[in-house]
Amino acid sequence: MGKVIVITSGKGGVGKTTTTANLGTGLAAAGQKVCLVDTDIGLRNLDVVMGLENRIVYDLLHVVEGQCRLRQALIKDKQFGDRLVLLPAPQTREKDAVTPEQMKELMKELREEYDFVLLDSPAGIEHGFKNAVAGADAAIVVTTPEIAAVRDADRIIGLLEAAELYDPGLVINRVRPGMVRRGDMMSISDIDDILAIDILGVVPDDQDIIVSTNRGEPVVTDSKSRAGQAYRNIVRRILGEEVPLMNLQERGVMNWFKRILSGEAQ
Amino acid sequence: MSTQLCTIKGSRDGLVVTITDASRFDHVLDALERQLIASESFFQGSSAKLLVKQGTLTSSQIDEIEGLLAQHGMRLDRRPPNLGISPRERGPVPESEPERLEDSTLLVRRTIRSGQRLHYDGNVVVMGDVNPGAEIVCSGDILVLGALRGVAHAGAEGKTDAIVFAFRLEPTQLRIAHLISRAPDEKLPQPQGPEVARVVGDRIQLSVYSH
Repeated sequence: MGKVIVITSGKGGVGKTTTTANLGTGLAAAGQKVCLVDTDIGLRNLDVVMGLENRIVYDLLHVVEGQCRLRQALIKDKQFGDRLVLLPAPQTREKDAVTPEQMKELMKELREEYDFVLLDSPAGIEHGFKNAVAGADAAIVVTTPEIAAVRDADRIIGLLEAAELYDPGLVINRVRPGMVRRGDMMSISDIDDILAIDILGVVPDDQDIIVSTNRGEPVVTDSKSRAGQAYRNIVRRILGEEVPLMNLQERGVMNWFKRILSGEAQ
Repeated sequence: MSTQLCTIKGSRDGLVVTITDASRFDHVLDALERQLIASESFFQGSSAKLLVKQGTLTSSQIDEIEGLLAQHGMRLDRRPPNLGISPRERGPVPESEPERLEDSTLLVRRTIRSGQRLHYDGNVVVMGDVNPGAEIVCSGDILVLGALRGVAHAGAEGKTDAIVFAFRLEPTQLRIAHLISRAPDEKLPQPQGPEVARVVGDRIQLSVYSH
């Protein structure tokens, strides 16, 4: 029996889709059988981030309406094939085209077949969110170190509790250690102070993400990328390993020198 | 006189038999019987809870009340009424502390998050935080055993001696009775310990909590 995890945030643009793509790819790379489900009906983009857009024939709505078999709609990943598949969202319909009951049924079916089912939730707290959480066993909340994003994450955690999804894991995305050090960005402990849920991972702001997203190849497979490393750590934590949060200090001689001067480096 | 010893009234929590002075139990029983007769069969088939305002009832006295209610087709619900005080079966109540209805207190053992709103008739105690975007409104006092960062409105029905207490009192906005105050726009040093807000004159004033 697999585990269905919804990836959600409330606020848009904090990196739900990127996180879903990277964790899915990372889990597949770790030998798990993974299905990614885009529940952002009408505004899909998980397929783009995965580089699979041009292979879509059937989508989630075709499956729940019985116009095709589930297997026909699942798109195999370029790199991992059968071990990583995507169920895309319909682009031309509205969110309410699917009901929470239909999602529950679908998840029941996918759970049989895959070790992990990752649901990419739409932004917001309306119908699309309710669909996304309907069939989930666990939740990952993505936020960035901004007050608005943290506020929305807090709202979402409350709504997840109401949907009986307790103890979600938190991914703090786009952290800029330099700004945090100067006091210009919320720190991890500032965020933890308000949200008070388990931190699953901290992902540094990394230009590699933009490059990889545009190329349709998740950064998690790039062994040189800092963000990739952060995602690989989250994957290991999801699989139950104890991995300490990585040191986010920027590398490079100048930074090392600055840290010496400010007395941070020991 | 004796009719005031005992009343049967509808409340938020269903029917409540209120006994004002349990020490005069015989008179209470008479009064209750008169009330039940006077109401004819109006209450028949319903269940009532028991509220004792002063003094205590022994369990055999409670049994007697139950029997009397049963004669008139009513059941006694032994759970305490939601808005008040349970039937006290032991222990004298000091005369100096008359129990009041508005003293009921809601205990919340979790964090109240953004978008969640809590409305209560009485006092509220939160064992957790009240996050920004959350709101507590109640007619009595608010005690937060954690950080209060959201909106709190104590004494919402005009009780100006209501207080708001928190281990970390950093509310977005604080209201007591008809008064409103908000956090200053510039950042202040964070409070180091528990603080309490109360009305002084016509303003809400924060002070370090000391007992």
